[in-house]
Amino acid sequence: MDEKNLAERLKLIESMVSEGRRSTTKWGWTFVLWGVAYLVATAWTTWGKSWLAWPVTMTAAAVATSVVASRMSRGQAETTLGRAIGAVWIGMGSSLTVVLICLAVSGRYDGRVFVAIVGAMLATAHATSAMILKWKAQFWCAVVWLVAAVAACFGSDTVVAIAFLGATLLGQIVFGIYAMVLESRRRRQGAAHA
Amino acid sequence: MPELPELNPVIHGKLRLALLSLLSGVDAAEFTWLREKTGATDGNLGAQLMKLEEAGYVSVEKKFVLRKPQTLYRMTEAGRAALTEYVAALKQLLGAAI
Repeated sequence: MDEKNLAERLKLIESMVSEGRRSTTKWGWTFVLWGVAYLVATAWTTWGKSWLAWPVTMTAAAVATSVVASRMSRGQAETTLGRAIGAVWIGMGSSLTVVLICLAVSGRYDGRVFVAIVGAMLATAHATSAMILKWKAQFWCAVVWLVAAVAACFGSDTVVAIAFLGATLLGQIVFGIYAMVLESRRRRQGAAHA
Repeated sequence: MPELPELNPVIHGKLRLALLSLLSGVDAAEFTWLREKTGATDGNLGAQLMKLEEAGYVSVEKKFVLRKPQTLYRMTEAGRAALTEYVAALKQLLGAAI
């Protein structure tokens, strides 16, 4: 067997191993969906003046995520990496929901506290995922959300609003679109190898 | 001169090598997912998976999910060891060729 053939075999192994792992990283749409949901809820609260804005929008986003995610997962290979990242986001989402509901029920809810908590928790989830995946772009999302959380501790209402909207746009929507573009590029390049 | 290693003929087939490599990166994979990733036909894929199963490199689990049949494939410890050995042998051969 010639050298070229052997090198091809090695390349095939590398590409197939990475193909198996890649299936865990095509969740860009969820960042876009949740980013848009935050914007819709913020706009509804600002102009609609309804206490239903956040509960209704977040519930709709959660239902849409679980329906699409369960459809996407059908027929896909399960990986330890995928489970680890999924656990981070599910854990973060559940904790956030419980804390925000408790704050609302107890009457201690406040816009700044909301941004500080959401910012800190999203920063933690993004940073954890970024470290697992060794993904710099996602690490910057963590930084953006942490900046919003810190701004919520010190800034005025206007600064907090700008920080939250900026983090939503950069740390969720732009990042999600970037992930989706990367995924579609990879799909086009990665046609059948074997 | 050191003796050059032999390449495991069960793994050496291109599709079988691709299948083992794919399975090495996941916990378990469905037949349809393996077909999508390799672009192989159902018949060829089934035959190659059976060879890997006979060699003890892959285990198969058949179950029903929402009344639909699902076939899951997993790499066994023997399969992982064989693939590791194969890669080492491949690298040694390539090293000898340079």
